[in-house]
Amino acid sequence: MIAHEKLSDIVGAANVSCERTTLDEYSRDMSFVNTVRPACVVKPRNAADIKQLVKLANEILTPLVPVSSGSPHFRGDTVPSIGGAVIVDLSKMKRIIKVDRPRRVAIVEPGVTFGELIPTAEKEGLRLNMPLLPRKSKAVIGSLLEREPVIMPKYQWDISDPLACLEVIFGTGDEFRTGQAAGPGTVEEQWAVGGVQKAPYGPGIASWHRLIQGAQGTMGIVTWASMRCEILPSLEEPFVVGSSNPNTLLELAYWLIRLRMVNECFILNNTNLAAIFAKKWPDDYQDIKAALPAWTLFYTAAGYEYFPEERVSAYVKNISDITQRLGVEAAKAVGGVSANEILKAVQRPSEEPYWKLRYKGGCEDIFFLTINDKLGVLIEAMNDLAIKFGYPVIDMGVYIQPIVQGTGCHCEFNLFYDPGNPGELNRVRKLSISAVKALMAKGAFFSRPYGESARMILNRDAATVAVLKKFKKIFDPNNVMNPGKVCF
Amino acid sequence: MALSKEVYKEFEDVVGEENICDDPAIMPAYFATEFAAVILPKDTAKVQAIVKLCNKHKLKFRAISTGWTGVFPKNTILLDLRRMNRIIEINEKNMYAVVEPYVISAELQAELFKRGLNFCIKGAGSNCSAMLRGHGHLDQTTSADDRNHLAIEWVTPEGEIVRLGSLGSSDEWFCGDGPGPSLRAIISSAVPPGVTPGVFTKAAIKLYHWPGPSKLPVVGKSPRYTLREIPANMMARYYSFPSVEKMWQAELKIGESEIAYELMGFNASMVASNITTCNEEEEEVFRRISQEVQGPGFFVIIAGNSPEDFAYKKKVLEKIVSDADGKSLKSVEDPEIEGILLCQCVRISASIRETFRAGGAFNSIPIMGQRDLTIKWAIGAGEAKKPLIKKGLIVDDGGAFFGWGVEQGHLGKTEIFCRFDPLNPEAKKAVEEWRKEQCARAVNERYFADLLMAKIDESGPSLSNYHLWWRKIVKELDPNSVSPEGGPLV
Repeated sequence: MIAHEKLSDIVGAANVSCERTTLDEYSRDMSFVNTVRPACVVKPRNAADIKQLVKLANEILTPLVPVSSGSPHFRGDTVPSIGGAVIVDLSKMKRIIKVDRPRRVAIVEPGVTFGELIPTAEKEGLRLNMPLLPRKSKAVIGSLLEREPVIMPKYQWDISDPLACLEVIFGTGDEFRTGQAAGPGTVEEQWAVGGVQKAPYGPGIASWHRLIQGAQGTMGIVTWASMRCEILPSLEEPFVVGSSNPNTLLELAYWLIRLRMVNECFILNNTNLAAIFAKKWPDDYQDIKAALPAWTLFYTAAGYEYFPEERVSAYVKNISDITQRLGVEAAKAVGGVSANEILKAVQRPSEEPYWKLRYKGGCEDIFFLTINDKLGVLIEAMNDLAIKFGYPVIDMGVYIQPIVQGTGCHCEFNLFYDPGNPGELNRVRKLSISAVKALMAKGAFFSRPYGESARMILNRDAATVAVLKKFKKIFDPNNVMNPGKVCF
Repeated sequence: MALSKEVYKEFEDVVGEENICDDPAIMPAYFATEFAAVILPKDTAKVQAIVKLCNKHKLKFRAISTGWTGVFPKNTILLDLRRMNRIIEINEKNMYAVVEPYVISAELQAELFKRGLNFCIKGAGSNCSAMLRGHGHLDQTTSADDRNHLAIEWVTPEGEIVRLGSLGSSDEWFCGDGPGPSLRAIISSAVPPGVTPGVFTKAAIKLYHWPGPSKLPVVGKSPRYTLREIPANMMARYYSFPSVEKMWQAELKIGESEIAYELMGFNASMVASNITTCNEEEEEVFRRISQEVQGPGFFVIIAGNSPEDFAYKKKVLEKIVSDADGKSLKSVEDPEIEGILLCQCVRISASIRETFRAGGAFNSIPIMGQRDLTIKWAIGAGEAKKPLIKKGLIVDDGGAFFGWGVEQGHLGKTEIFCRFDPLNPEAKKAVEEWRKEQCARAVNERYFADLLMAKIDESGPSLSNYHLWWRKIVKELDPNSVSPEGGPLV
């Protein structure tokens, strides 16, 4: 058991809490993982605090569970898997360390949220390639480390984007900087000569950031990270295309991304689009949903510093050749939702309450990666399962996000449910577990395994797990970093 | 040390007698070292069997693909992967191709052009393996370094087959990361199958749109090929600027505007190398071009997806160049010269002329990462070349460096080399000293740390002690120490 005094010595008494109500907040989340109350919650102020905490955890073999975003959490990764854990809540580390316009990069501490970074970046003429409508409390670094899909696939050259470099305290207590940040010299010395922490690869032949991403805090705790930013357009023309067939929209998205003509580009079904834009519940939601086509593709053509109107106009003409060939039509609004309204919304975090919680108060996400060709089959399979489990298909949200410049797509099913209704909750829980199994059998790739299904997902790839375990032994030999997560 | 008859027989049983050799008269044809044997596996299963045998007998092995360079400890078993030469798949709809190690870039590109696609061919040239990690002329639009690989099939140093990402879980090649932390963290050797321990047997690589024709209209005779006509909606130009600062401003704006298909920061010497066919001609053209350019510059290819797109990109290019007081090199506006450069720079057949022809050898410092930072360092490194030029120890290129933006200027590559006569020991020594001094300055002044030639234990301490972590990883992966280090392979 970790001693309260020792923690207080490190982070200060005001930043340690063992209050039952506080502990309860961290003992569960919106997912279906078991409730496990931590022993303590600490809020480090800086990297030095974190380093000492990790060293202490190794001395007394106490699990640490890093948490960067505020509640509500959805994936189970911030809930301890075993008792006696110390939650390392990074929300006090809120510095926006640097935003550099010419190099298109921002550096932040783990507690910085999208809502905090976006205005600072915009002042410098930059924007973030961000996930779709993250909740207000979502930390930027949390999103980067989770490899969340981003809404501008054109600028996602690699699946690790937009993460650039990071500083991590490994489970051993050693500090390490990845990519260009590794050195030579300190970060400040690099700045002095004009360097920024941008290039992600290295040092050496490894790309160390890839080991930290997707690890759910099992390798170490990140103390800051840099991310590549994009230039704020001087002109944006958003469009929507409705269709009853997602494959047609996927084909259109494929060409838009391949020819690099659009920035934001994603597909939502009518349930999700209505859930995002309904103002008055439930009437407004039902009306919008009824007026929307089954599927909507949203995209934006943009112009930058030079002749933006001419750029957008050339793209709009070229896109119209493609839409005509596919028999669909680009429009400025669909079912009463305007393209401008969507653009404005998706460039910010979600308004409160978080859009996934507005309908019923709870939401279980099932998400995976796949190739374009398989998507139709996987959606059908999910629909069949929903029917089998008595979940209304029309209530299921679907979000399709092309990734990495068109090399595949992220598909997400959002199962909205009432957490106060045990029957509904239980149904969604069972459906979720069965869906992961069934979709995997049909070729869905669950690259980000969370919660109850993680073991099942990882068991399919024993060779990868064997290598990952070797790495875990190196970077966290005492297994103090978030034990029980991923395959550790 | 030759293999014992019994051990040789075990390997022979795997690949057949025609695919193994320990003849001391034949093996040196590969590299100047004493190999224990050379083995030519046909597929992943054979590679696995060989690696398992290497572990059983504690024999060191190293694999090569197209095998241009490499360092091999004595008594290494060389796995020559030339029989693994299949393009497994070209997936247009999901923008990737799957290749075996001996598929060369020219071959894959020819197939891709037919489908309106292209990929990142590395600067080493189109005859090198398509699955290489590295940088090339097209980085502006096709990315570079370790960022083009998707799923990879890897035989570990112990002989286990690991199929990264979606391949291991769902038998698809489109993603190399996950489930969980990504093994691409280490499956990213300088040049696969290089210094990551083990052997890469297949790799999926990202594809990009190619706005040009399905086949370039090449005319002429070796070594002077050009294009019959410049393809529709394409244009190649070379611009020079009054200063490095002005050149950098133009390069930055071109990246931000997303208009260049290729932006290659050739210096005048490299332009001369590429448009000439012999040293005498190169010297004369370099002298002439040096008078014509006003300072540092770059070569640009603009390619439109439509006439409107092309017109827009051309207009923006002209505006940016004009704002930076740039000047187009008239020689390159000649359609024949434009065709030569366009062809060579898209097919990536330029590097050899630039590096080997004039001196016979070159010694280079390539730096990946932040372009403006490395330019700043390279100015000093260029100045440091001038005394060597004056003494006649290296080929006169005016003390130039070169480089280009990657991913529309997000990242970059800068490189500087000295060309010299390898038979002149004084020149060789002077170049080595220049290299050493400039790399030391890079560390001392906090620009970067050289990783190409420096030993990992020398560079590691200035780079977060990464070498200590890397050694731990290698030890875990290769407990029998059968997969040696030894520099990049091309």
